[in-house]
Amino acid sequence: MKEFQRYLLDRIAAANSHTLAVYRQQGGYKAIEKVLKTPLKPEDVITVMKDSGLRGRGGAGFPTGMKWSFMPDVAKDPRPRYLAVNADESEPGTCKDRVLMERDPHGLVEGCLIACYAMRAKAAYIYVRGEYRLSYDRLQAAIDEARAAGLVGKNILGTDFSCDIWMHKGAGAYICGEETGLMESLEGKRGHPRPKPPFPAGSGLWKSPTTVNNVETIFNAPFIVERGAEWFKSMGVPKSTGNFLCGISGHVNKPGVYELPFGLTARQILDEVAGGIWKGRKLKAFFPGGSSTGLMPASAIDVVMDHDSVKAAGSMFGTAAMIFLDETASIPQVMDVTLRFYDHESCGQCSQCREGTQWLHQMFHRIARGKGKREDIDLLVSLANGMAPGKTICALADAAAIPTLAAVKHFRAEFEQCVELGRDPLAPTHAPAPELQGAH
Amino acid sequence: MSQTPNPAPSSSPNPAPAPAAKPATIKIQVDGREVEADPKQPLIRACHDQGVDVPMYCYHPGLSPVGSCRICQVEVAAGPGQPSRVVAACRTPVSPGMVVQTDTPKAHETRRECLEFLLKNHPLDCPICDKAGECDLQDYSFNEGQGKGRSSEPRRKLEKRKSLGDVIVLDEERCILCSRCVRFFQEVTHKPQLTVSGLGSRSTIATFADKPLSGNYQGNIADICPVGALTLKPFRFQARVWNLSKTLSTCAECSRGCSITVEALRGKEVKRFRPRYNPQVNQHWMCDVGRFAYAPVTQPLPPEGSIVGGRLIGATIRGYNGLERVELESALAEIADLLRASSKPLVLLSPFVTQEEARAALELCASLGVAPRFVSPAPNNLKDDLLHTGDPCPNRRGLSDLGIAPIEPAAALTELASASAALLVGERVQALLGVAELAKLTTAARLVVLDVVAHDLAALDAALGVPTHVEKSGQWINVDGHVGVLNVAVPAPAGVAPLDRTLRELLEHCRAPAAR
Repeated sequence: MKEFQRYLLDRIAAANSHTLAVYRQQGGYKAIEKVLKTPLKPEDVITVMKDSGLRGRGGAGFPTGMKWSFMPDVAKDPRPRYLAVNADESEPGTCKDRVLMERDPHGLVEGCLIACYAMRAKAAYIYVRGEYRLSYDRLQAAIDEARAAGLVGKNILGTDFSCDIWMHKGAGAYICGEETGLMESLEGKRGHPRPKPPFPAGSGLWKSPTTVNNVETIFNAPFIVERGAEWFKSMGVPKSTGNFLCGISGHVNKPGVYELPFGLTARQILDEVAGGIWKGRKLKAFFPGGSSTGLMPASAIDVVMDHDSVKAAGSMFGTAAMIFLDETASIPQVMDVTLRFYDHESCGQCSQCREGTQWLHQMFHRIARGKGKREDIDLLVSLANGMAPGKTICALADAAAIPTLAAVKHFRAEFEQCVELGRDPLAPTHAPAPELQGAH
Repeated sequence: MSQTPNPAPSSSPNPAPAPAAKPATIKIQVDGREVEADPKQPLIRACHDQGVDVPMYCYHPGLSPVGSCRICQVEVAAGPGQPSRVVAACRTPVSPGMVVQTDTPKAHETRRECLEFLLKNHPLDCPICDKAGECDLQDYSFNEGQGKGRSSEPRRKLEKRKSLGDVIVLDEERCILCSRCVRFFQEVTHKPQLTVSGLGSRSTIATFADKPLSGNYQGNIADICPVGALTLKPFRFQARVWNLSKTLSTCAECSRGCSITVEALRGKEVKRFRPRYNPQVNQHWMCDVGRFAYAPVTQPLPPEGSIVGGRLIGATIRGYNGLERVELESALAEIADLLRASSKPLVLLSPFVTQEEARAALELCASLGVAPRFVSPAPNNLKDDLLHTGDPCPNRRGLSDLGIAPIEPAAALTELASASAALLVGERVQALLGVAELAKLTTAARLVVLDVVAHDLAALDAALGVPTHVEKSGQWINVDGHVGVLNVAVPAPAGVAPLDRTLRELLEHCRAPAAR
């Protein structure tokens, strides 16, 4: 693997990297100063973002500059506008935003200021996953520090630009990471995703134009504004520019969050970054971008890790949360655990999702315990096809159906074997997981 | 059904839109037909307006759409020849030139899948479910679903009979979480009481801290529940709905006159009042006071050999040995004599008499040379800003339009005490005047009563039975001038003739030469 330029995690090595003083020492708040003192027009900031080719890091990979430009024209639409930062990172396997919030919260604050300036947003709301206590505390401390230093609030850096940043703590629901569920939750309601249209840019928080961005996406903005779109485009591959944070977990020697450029193969990431599969075992399968992306077999390990290549290979880049499974992993067990999560986290609005996630979970649970029936395997496929794609209000049903379809497609023989033998030959020898309904 | 003979300032919370303000429509294609659609309404409305049946659970025309049940899937293309996709019709706005197909294999398949998921945990206890026969889940499963379930998983076990107050019982297992009931309290009564509690497949409908429901509109959530999850306590296990005859009628409990359906078991016994959609009067709703007002229309017949203590049937006059049953003709002759003998008989109508009965009464009074008045009790405390007017006189407006003046019960009793003869006409007239007060009348006044219930009044000289409002046809005019229609839902007991006919026969007798 050739050397590459890093920027996302540059600052976190310093002691007390989460404080304003250290952040400033390392060149912090220069980007917002550039924007306000030059001064750049909001449209110019959006143009830079568009030119940079930055794609959203929350899973869908939508071009950020374009998303920002969807906000209605301020001359025609007098409603206040808002930025909502999605820090409800709860996809199994994903743990990248947490590093940024805990170790470099001012980077996110500065990103929020730039995004609000570009979209003429009145305020930013950061929706932090409830379990992320340290993230919440550090971000709140950073906002307080920045406010005291005149960087958040009225007349920032002595200019006309005013912007507030507020924090909101989630209560442990995965569904509140869905952008419309997040907005409902921010408004104080149950986190039930809203049907689209209307899209958030037309009618979001409190029926006002709103943009919802992932933490890492916003975190990229100050770098792009300060160093330019060309610099950003020099990294990665043409259609997926810049670096991304890759959260590696599972049966590897060196799990963790790594900053990587787009364009590496999964094999390079596994072998050269994650130190290979542990205990000298072989790779069996991997989730390329979190548990809601399609499981890929070991044979697909040479897939290039960027949005379009992973999609072409039949899965999704998602949040780049790579989960590697070694040869001892039982796919029925993995799917049992995965679907337990989606069954537990479905909000319960749409019939297909509410009943389907439970049904799939019950079936995987049965198969993994050797109580499967021959017809179950086709039924899994049929049910997953009945739930997705696009048949429900939000994508949670898809998130349960996609890995189901992929697992049956690539590992059908293993499911059949469990059914034939009446037991799972790869079942862990230690005590089985607790029976169904659990978690918090 | 409704018309406005006398336009008047509206006190209705849902005033009818002026006919001139017809909304601008756009043209779309539904199942091959070019149709006009209101751009403010979701696609499902355009389909329903054309008589195209698109199934629905969470959508209700009186509530906001949420698009959560996903049963209303139809195939939609932006224009002819354009690629189509399956969408939820209740959350899809109409756009000009849109091509909608409800009857395609893809749409049916999507709906079949949706039903399969909905039935995954449904208890299928239709044989003991009150909703069976009028259940949307049953109907659509029959039309669109598959014959055989593919699930071998255990069904969800939840509370089967959870009391939500005096009116409603919740069966959590049957609930498909359409949230219509939740939205009803949010959007119609504006007093949110229910919520969806819990997450995903563990969701249930609940009130805060299990408090019972309150208010005068709880019964509506049983009507709009598409399955048998919410049932009415008074109606539980009372009847299979396919044995109920349904008759269009009007509620009698206030001057709003909500359009209702009277449902009677095998056409005989009134079991249920349900609201009937009327955009000018009550929309889709009715109040619980009206909904459960069965008692006045289900009076038992008097005990064998007795005249009082139940329905007033046949003709009764006071003879030498007290009250006795006689032939109608002789009773009418007796009453005519009595009325003619009095110089100024007092004629008091019940506010429950119909326009037709009131006209007959006016003719009778004209021949007697007196002006009738109708008993008008003071407003009760049930008035709210949704439907109930607090005025217990269902035909106040109609009687006033005919020039009949109201009289308060207290004033009426005073006049009664000094009247030489009095004719009390119509359903509940004794109750509205006060049965106890009437019983105290011991003057020489000669009292003739035409009512539903027989009371043993000392001053009573003659009494004739009349039908209740579910036993007659006729018209009432509500507070806003809308006509409410009554139809015969159950037959009147033997010996009870229509009131207007009785009054006209009495008129004939009054005009005839004196018998004695």
